[in-house]
Amino acid sequence: MQRSIDRPLWALFVGPYGVYLVILLVVPLVNIAVYSVYTYSPTKIAVPDLTAANYARLWDAYYIQLFLRTTKLALVTTVICAVLGYPVAYTLARARPALMSLGLFLLVVPLMVSTVIRVFGWVVILGRNGLVNEVLDLLGLEPFRVMYTETAVVIGLVNIFMPFMVLPMMSAIERIPPSFEEAATNLGANWFQMFARVILPLSYPGLVSGSLLVYSVSLSAFVTPVLMGGARIRVIGSQIFDEVLVSFNWPGASSLALVVIAATTMLVLVALRATRAAARLESRQ
Amino acid sequence: MLSRGAASRELPAIVRMVELEVAGLVKQYSPQVTIGPISFEVTEGEFFSLLGPSGCGKTTTLRCIAGFERPSEGRITLSGRRLDDMPPHRRDVGLVFQNYALFPHLTVFENIAFGLRLRRIGRKEVEERVGRMLELVGLPNLAGRYPPQLSGGQQQRIAIARSLVLEPRLLLFDEPLSNLDFKLRVQMRFELRELQRRLGKTSIYVTHDQTEALALSDRIAVLSQGRIEQIGRPSEIYETPETAFVADFIGSSNILDATVQSKSGVGASVRTGSGLELTVPPVVEEIGSRLLILVRPERIRLVDGREEAVSNRITAEIDDLTYLGEDVQLRVTTAPAAKLLVALKSGKGTRELRRGGSIDLAIDPEDIHVLRK
Repeated sequence: MQRSIDRPLWALFVGPYGVYLVILLVVPLVNIAVYSVYTYSPTKIAVPDLTAANYARLWDAYYIQLFLRTTKLALVTTVICAVLGYPVAYTLARARPALMSLGLFLLVVPLMVSTVIRVFGWVVILGRNGLVNEVLDLLGLEPFRVMYTETAVVIGLVNIFMPFMVLPMMSAIERIPPSFEEAATNLGANWFQMFARVILPLSYPGLVSGSLLVYSVSLSAFVTPVLMGGARIRVIGSQIFDEVLVSFNWPGASSLALVVIAATTMLVLVALRATRAAARLESRQ
Repeated sequence: MLSRGAASRELPAIVRMVELEVAGLVKQYSPQVTIGPISFEVTEGEFFSLLGPSGCGKTTTLRCIAGFERPSEGRITLSGRRLDDMPPHRRDVGLVFQNYALFPHLTVFENIAFGLRLRRIGRKEVEERVGRMLELVGLPNLAGRYPPQLSGGQQQRIAIARSLVLEPRLLLFDEPLSNLDFKLRVQMRFELRELQRRLGKTSIYVTHDQTEALALSDRIAVLSQGRIEQIGRPSEIYETPETAFVADFIGSSNILDATVQSKSGVGASVRTGSGLELTVPPVVEEIGSRLLILVRPERIRLVDGREEAVSNRITAEIDDLTYLGEDVQLRVTTAPAAKLLVALKSGKGTRELRRGGSIDLAIDPEDIHVLRK
């Protein structure tokens, strides 16, 4: 009885977005998968002769270095976001409601500015004749050359993706009753011991989902690396962009994209399984 | 620890040492909202309750002692050491929370061991002390469980064990039984009292439940609107309340406005606002001055027809009658229009009572308590 009412409602609620996902995600993904085994042709972009060459060419020093650099940038970004984000998330989660709304607004504002504009903002600050170097120059200090380095890319990525780390962490910390903190303090824990033994383990699922989000968006970012890293700091995103729009090697771009998607998906699955195990442990009934 | 508590209980109160002293404690939340000044002393091994309605300042006082609130003024001293400047994690004061605040990601064993581990106590000693605590609270088989798997009563006992294992100088309870259902609450009340007696641990207990405070405490401080109304033993609080608030808050009561008519060495005569003439114990107030008198409903008695020369004899009409088995509760209107609550033991005399009927009552003068006005 219950079920016969539930089923059509369920389809009605999820259906529209399901159709959207199928048309805009599943179909293109299948398309990419198909392209990735086609043969590249300089004149026709791709011809339907099945081949594994697109994958085989990825086993090459250039691509391996590309993978390593991209992964490193994404990891460093994730770690910095986690370290800088935890205190912010904690402060916001424990703030008065009015302060929390203000903090959330300030946190999300950067997302409302286009990536290109934000990156040019960074150029104004960090560039050769930027704010930082003008000040250093006035003080008679050596200029600080940071634009077009990996550091610049990480600075840009951390700036954009911080909300993805802070929001899940914050909602996890918010669910921890303040009396847990007081109990730990009452039992003799100083603030750091309290944080390490109570807040950290109990907000661990928030840390995992925040890290996954930041890691996967950093891995696929390409506007920020291109604009802040310049031509020397190539990442997978900019490589795919070039192969699609500059050299028109769509089979090559597809194989590269699929490998990244597969690697990220695997990581997400492993991490989710770990979180679920932790959640089960917590709510054991 | 155990023997010290047992010994101190034998001694008269004056000989016992003051363990905790709260002097002139004030907590100012805003210009409009101020708690205090509150002052009281708790002696070694004493079970002391802070009782009052919500917002009276009892929890604020407790949190100031634990260090989670910073007092605006005043001094808190625990066995000679100033507490108020000390960070909360160094105070040597155990707090049992209303919601227990057991860590859900740690086993029962690890919850109890939490404070011991912070003090870098060796593995063997931790095991021994946690084991002893689990025995003490009667849950030796639950060490490996997680708090969400336990019942409310079990969680409560683990929370107490977690505080007790550190052997704090002072134990604080913040309404620890209010989340339990009625039967369990009554049972835990006895267990808590028993445990406290056995360990002789100086304790402060915050509650809004007067029955709990009366049953558990050596002494009670009744608070209202940020001030202490009265401090005393449970029987003093109930039988000789000093203010109308205390009389009204504890138990049910008839509080009557009265004027002194005449007085002598053995008693005084007062007339209530509603016109009742009553003989009361001696008063210090002048003739013509106004005061409040308290009559507990269960101290009003039925007059036997054969009795003669009964003082404070009242004839009344029964407005409402509630039969409760052991007791019969009445609301009556006396001849000169005074409304009274009466509680009678059920029996021969109460069988004939009917709503709308008439009843003969009396109040012995010594059962009338004169309140400060």
